[in-house]
Amino acid sequence: MALGKIKADTLEHSTAGLVDTKFVVDGSAKAWTNFVGTGTAAINRSSNSSGLTDNGTGDYTVSFTTNLVDANFSFAMAANQTSTGTGMVTGDSGHQTTLTAGSIRWGFTGSSSNTITDVTTGSVMVHGDLA
Amino acid sequence: MSEIKTDKLTGVGTAGVIVVTGEGNSTTTNLQQGLAKAWFTFNYATTVQDSFNIGSVTDEATGHCFGNFSSNMNNNDFAHPAMTGAYRTRFENPGPDATTSRTNTIETYNSSGSSADDNIVNCTVHGDLA
Repeated sequence: MALGKIKADTLEHSTAGLVDTKFVVDGSAKAWTNFVGTGTAAINRSSNSSGLTDNGTGDYTVSFTTNLVDANFSFAMAANQTSTGTGMVTGDSGHQTTLTAGSIRWGFTGSSSNTITDVTTGSVMVHGDLA
Repeated sequence: MSEIKTDKLTGVGTAGVIVVTGEGNSTTTNLQQGLAKAWFTFNYATTVQDSFNIGSVTDEATGHCFGNFSSNMNNNDFAHPAMTGAYRTRFENPGPDATTSRTNTIETYNSSGSSADDNIVNCTVHGDLA
């Protein structure tokens, strides 16, 4: 069945209010990923994420299925770690976050040290402009 | 300017799939997958400041809280970064403890490394609704 296309500047709900559709386009996350970071790192579930690369201890890259228009996008991350004294911090020395239109690479460090660390599970989300 | 007034958007081919043309006009993104399914901003002193799809935020202990969904997620494999105004933020050890009905426990610490209540705890959830 052929799909239709709606062009509109505003969506209005009967009780919840209205929103300019630019907030739907610009405000939607363009990618998110939940992954296992220990052992064989792998994606649990994701949207617009084509793969996860384990670059080494605590050092990960998520590639996008559909690229962003450039590397100027917003991101946020978080992680769980089962070992005491580790948690979610990004970007220790030598492992600064690297953004490209097609991927994001970053490192997790322990919450009580600057040692880069594998995480049990991790999350990353991206907001920005699609190509 | 055009305006659509409706209480529900549903995909034609697949009910849960509606695509939106991207900003660059050359690609599309899945509307449902891109929408945040829940978010909250929490203050330990005064409770939930504002939220979406959060029935409550549980104050477990000093510097330990988590959000409870109004409409549950389909699984616990959702992405949900959290940020706080504290010196350090992390998810609970051992973790994860997220379920279809709640987020992981978000822990906040002061500069001495002790658990501490904070007046800013933000969390956003992206994933699949039940």
